Formats: sequence, C-alpha cells, structure tokens
Amino acid sequence: MHHDVAGQAVAAVGLLAALGYHLAATRLRSRGDRWPVPAQAAFLVGCLALWLAGLGPGTDHGTSTDAMVRHLLLGMVAPLLLVLGRPVTLALRALPAGPVRRGFVRALHSAPVSVLVCPPVAAVLDAGGMWVLFRTPLPAWAASRPWLALLVHAHVLGAGLLFSAAVCQLDPVRRRYGVVMRGAALVAAAAAHGVLAKLLWAQAGTVDARQAAMIMYYGGDIVEIALAAVLAAGWYAAGGRALRRGSAGARCGTGSSRCLEVAHGDDRLRPVQ
Amino acid sequence: MTGRSVAAGALIGVGAAGFVDEVVFHQLLHWHHFYDKSTPAVGLVSDGLFHAFSWFAAVIGLVMVADLARRRGLMARALAGGAFTGAGAFQLYDGTIQHKLLRLHQIRYDVDIRPYDWTWNVIAVALILTGLWFLWAARRTA
Repeated sequence: MHHDVAGQAVAAVGLLAALGYHLAATRLRSRGDRWPVPAQAAFLVGCLALWLAGLGPGTDHGTSTDAMVRHLLLGMVAPLLLVLGRPVTLALRALPAGPVRRGFVRALHSAPVSVLVCPPVAAVLDAGGMWVLFRTPLPAWAASRPWLALLVHAHVLGAGLLFSAAVCQLDPVRRRYGVVMRGAALVAAAAAHGVLAKLLWAQAGTVDARQAAMIMYYGGDIVEIALAAVLAAGWYAAGGRALRRGSAGARCGTGSSRCLEVAHGDDRLRPVQ
Repeated sequence: MTGRSVAAGALIGVGAAGFVDEVVFHQLLHWHHFYDKSTPAVGLVSDGLFHAFSWFAAVIGLVMVADLARRRGLMARALAGGAFTGAGAFQLYDGTIQHKLLRLHQIRYDVDIRPYDWTWNVIAVALILTGLWFLWAARRTA
C-alpha cells in the first residue's frame, strides 16, 4: 500500500491549526484581552479529531468500520468542534491592522463567501458531496491516486466546516440567516445522511460494512443533535440579549438607540442597533 | 404566549415519540428492524426526514420552554396539549402511513401483526384526544 499522503496532510492541517489558534489566543491574552477557554478547548479537541482522522488507528489496513469512523471525524465531529472555537473571530481580533487583515476581511465579505455560507447551499455541498462519495466509484479511484484522495479529504473537511459554520453562525459574516432556514437545512442534510446510511446498510455484503453503515447512521444523529443544540443555544442567547435591551431601553426612555450594552461574548461596549 | 406554549409542546411531543420509537422499539425490544427489504424509496425518505426532525424538534422544543419560562409566559395546559397532540400525531403517522402504506418496517416480526397495529394506533388516537382535551382546557382558562 502506498503512503497515505491524504491522511498525513489531514493530520498536518490539524497540528498547524492547533498551533496557529494557540498563538493567536496567547497573543490576545498577552495584551490583556479575554478569549474564552471553552472555545479554545473545543478547537483544540477538533484538531485532535483531525489528527485521529488522518493518522488514527486502522489507517493502513482499514476495515469499512475504521474508514467510517475516520470519515465521521473528518466530515462532522472535527468541523463542529473547530467552528465552536470561533476561529474567524479570533483571527480578526489577533491579526494586526495591515494588508493581511484587510485581505481577510475582504475575502469574508466577498460574494462567493456570502453564497457559500447560505445554509441551503452549504447543505447541498456537504450532503451532495457525501452522496457522490458513497454512490460512485470515487473511493476506488482515490485509493490508487493520492492527489484525488487529497482532494476528496479536502472537500469532506471543507464542506463539513462550511455546513457547521452556516448552521451555528457563531462567526461574523456579512449575511445572517434566521433560525428557521438554518434549522431546515440541518434537518434536510441530516435526513439525507440517514437515508444514505440505510441504503448502504441494505447493500452491505459483510458484517463489517453493515456495522459501518450503522455507525454512519447513529454517529450522524449524535452530531446532528449537537448542531441543533448549538443552534438553539444561539437563539436562546439572542433572545436574552433582546430582553436585556428591552429593559435597558425602558430605563433610558424612548431613545434606546443611545443606550449601550455589553455585547455577548465581547468585553467591548457597542451601541445597540 | 399560549400559541408558543402549544408550539413548544408539539415539538417536544414529536421529539418524545421519536425518542420512544428509537430507544424502546429499535434498541431495547429489537422489534422494529433497521431496514426492511420491502421499503420503497419514498418510505426511506419519509423515515429519514421524520427521524432527523424528531431529534431537532426535541432540542428546539426544550429550549423554547426555557425561553417561555424566562419570559414568565409558559402555559402548562397549552404545553401539555401541544405535547400530547404532537406525540399522538407522530405515532398515528408512523402507525398508519409509515408502517402500513410505505411499509417502512412492521411493529414486530414473526407474529400476528394485527393486535399490534390496533394497539399502536388506538394509543395514538388516545394521545391526540388527551392533547385536544388539554388544549380545550387551556382555551377555557385563557
């Protein structure tokens, strides 16, 4: 068997991301800013999930079950944990003012990014890629072509990140989407995931392949519930901010737009929109 | 607030029915089969959607209850009415459309299925009637 270049690349991305995130968080704290420890912990565990997906046990003589566990780690578990770390927010705060930061902001506000983080688009890219991966001979072609395997891994991780970011909406993007649209995209993608897992189970010829399909089905459920919990928690927190704004507005009289509130997760004062 | 309590209850009811279906009938009793060879594609899609939606509904419904409690707007009878009606509706859909029409899977295999089907759907109707009674009581007191 050839060297698993794609797996090594995934593990390397995990290590580099952990290093970059740690440096950025340290930079923030050294200048007296706060950065939440739970977010950092989530991101670092996400990096560990990437490393396991790339070089974890069973990478060289894989059963279908091993491959499925790695696939879940790469496409669902790691993306959710990485998104919980709010890496874009951290980067925006850690990058010094200059051409790099300006370019980053311009890229975030660009038209392609705005289209990609639209929940239905992200869901189609994520679930669609999964169907192509499992319903075509793509895995067999990728097995003998390292560059194709690399491309497949990059798409699984990238689409997973995009979908988790679109559903959770924790990082700042120009266009925000409501709870209903994000929830509908989540349910549709989760349904596609469950249906595909049952089809794979139905066509499985071995005990190993059936077990892999079961892991896909129930593992997907667990991550779906976690995504729903993040979505619901965000909605609950936004309601709390609106309630506090309401009572602050009552205190200040009618000109509530001049009142200031402490923005969620941020220690700077911002004018109320 | 009454409407939102009913909605939160309905979501929790659907979620609870889905949870019981998965945990009791699939995992504990092993009566339901993961996949039934006679299931057409539309049955798989229906199952996938309802399975995904029931988890989502449970999470969102519980957080909606927390939100209503925070606003001191939680109506207990409306919540119960929504929950029983939601659970019964899901159970009835599962017992008639999914089990019978779409032949997703049967309640149990290698037995005479009729008493199981009748029990299943009678319980579903009883749940819906209980829910409607709560909703009626909620309207009277509102």
